[in-house]
Amino acid sequence: MTHPLAPLAGALAARSVRYVLIGVSAANLYGPTGQAIFATEDFDLFLPLDPANLIRAWESCEEAGLELWLGNEPLDRPRDLWLAEQMTARQMLTRVTGPGELKVDLTMVMKGFDFEGVWSARRPFLIEEIEVPVARLLHIIQSKHAAGRDKDKLFLATHRDALEQLLKKPEEG
Amino acid sequence: MKPTVEDGLRILREAAEQAAQIRIELTDDYLALIARVEAMPENQPGADKSGRWRGGIPELKAALSRVRLKPTVR
Repeated sequence: MTHPLAPLAGALAARSVRYVLIGVSAANLYGPTGQAIFATEDFDLFLPLDPANLIRAWESCEEAGLELWLGNEPLDRPRDLWLAEQMTARQMLTRVTGPGELKVDLTMVMKGFDFEGVWSARRPFLIEEIEVPVARLLHIIQSKHAAGRDKDKLFLATHRDALEQLLKKPEEG
Repeated sequence: MKPTVEDGLRILREAAEQAAQIRIELTDDYLALIARVEAMPENQPGADKSGRWRGGIPELKAALSRVRLKPTVR
């Protein structure tokens, strides 16, 4: 099965876009196959406050055949530096959609963290031979704790148990 | 007594209030678990995670569509 993020990750890498995968989909990558997997539709990509980088991210999405949205509306055109500067100044999120109910959020906000701190501690994992920068699990959990939304609390309430199961299994085998 | 719509709404309201009051702490034990998972060989930089993804809704629907319920005798 092709990983749904792989085509976009390839396009992002080709354009040297700086981003870090965060959120539940990133936390999932720390679990082995068949364990500690939390269902999610979303891939959250944390981007720096850099308009030129944001433009390259948009171009990568378009190249990968994905659609860009701002709220419920298609992202305005031209998707130029002026638009990127406006969105960066307001830390606005770009929603990306694609085949198979793919949903990717290009966000410039990670509660409790700035981009450089997360970037410098990132873990480069490989997905279908493409390097994907992933946030440290610790940072993902700390950010969810800081955000404190109901869905974050639900995740945290179950995540600890999932980790315990994950660490217990090899010892039992 | 037959439950009413008001009863249902009250239960939902109470559940929402309870969720808002839940506080999850990042205890030393939890942080130690996270450190152990991060230190696992399969979670080091360069690890291949191609096979790790299965969390999407389409995959969930596909998995559920394959479920067959078996009748049980009590």
